[in-house]
Amino acid sequence: MNIATSRFGEINVDESRIIDMRGGILGFEHLKKYMLRIQNEKNPFWWFQSVDDGKVAFVVINPFITNADYKPVIDDNDTKLLEIENTEHVVILAIVTILQNPFSVSVNLRAPIVVNAEKKIAKQVVLEDQTYPVRYYLTPAGSRDETSTTRDN
Amino acid sequence: MLILTRKLGESITIGDDIRITFLEAKGKQVRIGIEAPPHIAVHREEIYQLIREQNIKAAKGDNIEKDTLPDFLEGLKKLLLKDQQEL
Repeated sequence: MNIATSRFGEINVDESRIIDMRGGILGFEHLKKYMLRIQNEKNPFWWFQSVDDGKVAFVVINPFITNADYKPVIDDNDTKLLEIENTEHVVILAIVTILQNPFSVSVNLRAPIVVNAEKKIAKQVVLEDQTYPVRYYLTPAGSRDETSTTRDN
Repeated sequence: MLILTRKLGESITIGDDIRITFLEAKGKQVRIGIEAPPHIAVHREEIYQLIREQNIKAAKGDNIEKDTLPDFLEGLKKLLLKDQQEL
């Protein structure tokens, strides 16, 4: 099938690669189908494109690239929901927020997208471990949006 | 809003498959246990709101387009290379 996207134009979607987002992404609960788009092998930033709404896409990154000691704990409920039997098939993606003015790049380590790559099921999992921030900045402190009204954990 | 009074150890049920049990009260803190099916997401409200807002920001991404991503990567690489060998 083909879908029209705002960023990539008309793209062909291989239906066997569609990921079923159980529960959706918070704030986008109505969108259940996504696909992973890797633009360039050398670029660690990938796109998590909604198949239901071509305008919605998230930049994602493998959080182990930014935090080698990242240890997300997936609870029993989510393990069951994601039908995880073998952790080898689990892929973890962290949503990246890129803001231009001022330039800041942050990674959401508190609520990663956990994918069962074998069964193509995923969920944005909110980790119990409060030490993982919603905004883990890759850019220096000087360039942050300090007008934000929300706290970081 | 429905308001109920419960003793510790007592529960309330919501629908057929959600049960909330009041476990412990200490000063202004209350510990509750929640049993719900896996498809029902249970979150602390403030973290739920924070993640929701962050997701919305990320999706807007100041209109980051596919072609601009490599530029951001280049900028970032320079910053990251200080403490990492490669990205």
